Amino acid sequence: MEEFLQHSLNGLSFGSIYALVALGYTMVYGILGMINFAHSEIYMMGAFMCYYFALWMGFQTPSPINFTLGLLFAGLMAGAIGFLVEKFAYKPLRKSPKMNSLITAIGVSILFQYGGQIIFGANPKSFPTLIEDQNLFEIAGSQIHLIDLLIYGVSALALLGLHFIIYKTQTGRAMRAVSSRPDMSPLMGIDNNKIISMTFIIGSVLAGIAAVLVSIKYPKIDPMMGSKIGMSAFVAAVFGGIGSLHGAIIGGLMLGVGEYYLIGYGASTYRDALSFTVLILILLYKPTGLFGSQLKEKI
Amino acid sequence: MIRMIQISRWTQALIFLIGFLILGIALHFFLNSYIHAILISFMINAIMALSLNFITGLADQFSLGHAGLMAVGAYTSALLSKELLSDHWFFIPLTVLAAGLVTSFVGYLVSLPSFKLKGDYLAIVTLGMAEIVRVLILNWNSVGGPRGYNAIIKFPNFLLSYSFSVFVLVVTFVVLFRLKKSWYGRNLWALNEDDIAAEVMGLDLVQSKRNAFIISSFFAGIGGGVYAHHLGYISPGSFSFLISVQILIMAVLGGLGSMSGSVIAAFILTILPEVLRSLPTGSVDVRMIVYPIILILMMILRPQGLLGRMELLEFLRSKNWIRS
Repeated sequence: MEEFLQHSLNGLSFGSIYALVALGYTMVYGILGMINFAHSEIYMMGAFMCYYFALWMGFQTPSPINFTLGLLFAGLMAGAIGFLVEKFAYKPLRKSPKMNSLITAIGVSILFQYGGQIIFGANPKSFPTLIEDQNLFEIAGSQIHLIDLLIYGVSALALLGLHFIIYKTQTGRAMRAVSSRPDMSPLMGIDNNKIISMTFIIGSVLAGIAAVLVSIKYPKIDPMMGSKIGMSAFVAAVFGGIGSLHGAIIGGLMLGVGEYYLIGYGASTYRDALSFTVLILILLYKPTGLFGSQLKEKI
Repeated sequence: MIRMIQISRWTQALIFLIGFLILGIALHFFLNSYIHAILISFMINAIMALSLNFITGLADQFSLGHAGLMAVGAYTSALLSKELLSDHWFFIPLTVLAAGLVTSFVGYLVSLPSFKLKGDYLAIVTLGMAEIVRVLILNWNSVGGPRGYNAIIKFPNFLLSYSFSVFVLVVTFVVLFRLKKSWYGRNLWALNEDDIAAEVMGLDLVQSKRNAFIISSFFAGIGGGVYAHHLGYISPGSFSFLISVQILIMAVLGGLGSMSGSVIAAFILTILPEVLRSLPTGSVDVRMIVYPIILILMMILRPQGLLGRMELLEFLRSKNWIRS
């Protein structure tokens, strides 16, 4: 029972990360109908930006201020990178067949991974300790770490912020408009290009924040770190119903917890296959995902 | 008009066959084993690119897991020849054919969940399939697990293995080429142009695309089989995501929908890394920098690839470089 609780708590903290990354996929898919394969590389760049920021600022001792600064910087830079990728790689292809933007997305993703290996080096780097981890308290025999609490807290804040932007502001209203009828929204005075850029930026900021949180918990970063988490997060998005924000969050949490049970109960070599198995089952039996509201269309 | 196309189609195949055979005999006597190995890997690449081009170029469905299908074919063929067929090179064509059949069954299984929704789900499912295949092989000890499967039977000399590869490549090319020009290929084209109109005309969208993926998987498995018996050693690492990307870029560079384009692109992209080998990039595989740049630039500047949908002769004719 203790073990079960511990796995659940770990799973929840990893699941919140999946949820943050999955939101980026689901938002871009909702607005452009395209799988943004480069999203996992933006996540990776977030971690590296924070790493170099910490080196450059000379962060020696862990402190909450350093942590906050690192988090904000990574979020900002990831947002900027997401904006640039959209502007230079995807925007010229807005009018061409979807296949072309998909191929470009894969190209961008590989370019970041291997370009990163040349620029940052292929060996894993150890991430600076921005904040000291400690056991805060125990619930029913399982320990609650500060970092896990931070992950829950920061993810919850980010999700609340996102919810506020999407449902309470003018930009969010415009995003929902573009997502439901991209051909009609310009008639209502919405600049589609601006809204699409905005979507990429918001998704990328969330990915950058997620990257820093993960890197503090598992302080090894390398240029390939994005691909695995990116795939799992994408699966989480499909699981929850791609295009649905709440679906992405719940899908991410469930997938994270599921993976930790697999690891905890001794099938860790099959962990990588889990998310894809889930994906295939979802596509077979409930293709719209848990919360997918879109009408069922063929191919 | 019809008669003329028919002649040029056969001439095309014949030119390939004779040219390759003469080249093979010449190479067998005059060149070293390095060139031999490159030549065979060009043909394997071409088979894989053709296979991918059929599903991506003609059926407009994206597969990111062709390396996984290739792995299924390679391991099937290697296992069959080692465990069942007494390890004799004479049986290689048989096991390769069996590999194709097994892989097309895997392709059928993959196609079941993939065509339920509009969108690029085949890309994700195939990506996942490749990953699942890799994880299963890693955990499967009797085929070596992560150490790889070695001492697979090979052809005794270059000329035999060359002729076999040429034979497989030509068969792949001719079958896929004729399928493209057939009633079925035109159905796929119609479905790409306007699926609703095509369905109104009585075409079955899901079934057509599913069949296209099964055919594509068959040839991917064949390619994997040839690969296994060419190298004599396979490991889960030989079928990584990078291989899928490499196959994809060949199909895209040649022109999606152009079978001869795929062969040409496979040739270029097999030679290119050998030329780039001297560049100083440390431990990083330079191909993986050059490939994505080619991909992105191609998509922005010339999204239809070298030949577009046209075949080589059609392309040359359209440019008035040869008389029709």
